[in-house]
Amino acid sequence: MKNLKEISTRLEIAKKNIKKNKINNQGSNAASLGKALKISTELVAAVVVGSIIGFLLDNWFDTKPLLTICFFFIGTFAGIRNVFKLAKNMNKKL
Amino acid sequence: MTLNPMHQFEVYRIGPEINFGSINLSFTNASLFMAISASLILSLLYLGTKKKSLIPSKIQLITEMSYTFVAKMINDTAGSSAKAFFPFIFTLFMFVLFCNMVGMLPYSFTVTSHIIVTFALAAAVFLGVTVIGFVKHGIKYLELFVPKDVPIILLPLIIVIEIISYLSRPVSLSVRLFANMMAGHTMLKVFGGFVISLGLLGGWLPLGFSVALTGLEILVAFLQAYVFAILTCIYLNDALNLHH
Repeated sequence: MKNLKEISTRLEIAKKNIKKNKINNQGSNAASLGKALKISTELVAAVVVGSIIGFLLDNWFDTKPLLTICFFFIGTFAGIRNVFKLAKNMNKKL
Repeated sequence: MTLNPMHQFEVYRIGPEINFGSINLSFTNASLFMAISASLILSLLYLGTKKKSLIPSKIQLITEMSYTFVAKMINDTAGSSAKAFFPFIFTLFMFVLFCNMVGMLPYSFTVTSHIIVTFALAAAVFLGVTVIGFVKHGIKYLELFVPKDVPIILLPLIIVIEIISYLSRPVSLSVRLFANMMAGHTMLKVFGGFVISLGLLGGWLPLGFSVALTGLEILVAFLQAYVFAILTCIYLNDALNLHH
């Protein structure tokens, strides 16, 4: 009888652990969804802002398409840099 | 009932037209739902703090949980020096959260699915953070654009890149919230339209999708409010503690 009791308590503890892990996993899923959304917009936004700045400067200096093209690429660099920075920060937190 | 999935985002005037000079200041459905969200937040906080008991009632528990949630978020991401900005970030988080959640109710209007609303919020955060940075560090705040250990030849390019990435903050902040809310609500409406057009025979599958998407949308609504608040904290941290 004693053995049976011991086994049942151990079973309960194991079941609780499984539940805990499941809850933890769900939490990290939501968090990673948030991270994914964060990174994707970060990349796009920098490209858009870079292109807009290039376009405005082009209108200002009358050098159409030149500066738009240049700033498009600079914006792309900025976006990739942003993503790199974010990813680095995430690594640090892990 | 119209089946156009974009119809739900239409802003229309409620009540009389009010013109202030050349600016149209009429009360619209967007203003109505902003007012509803704000009054919901106020009543929640009022009811939650009215009767303070050691064993909290449900509404007090929700209020305290939201308080500790935001307080912990600020402490974790921006440090204790950002404690002074708790009221602002708490207001921002609650407002975005309630606007998103009120938008999940049928026949309601989602304020945050309009880019002008989210961009106004993000621009306020961006300007505020920039002003705080300059007040705290003076002209040294510009060091934010000069990363350490960069060869001098690359410096002009890097500074331009850093400025663009700084300017892209409000855009990414606002576009993220707006795009998520608009895409989600459009998708819900599209699947809702499928249910009606497929009828009793084939409408069950899109109905199931609709139910699942509603669950996902509630998650996204919370998550986007959280991301908005946490990014504000991160930007605040950049402004308060240079180079960390």
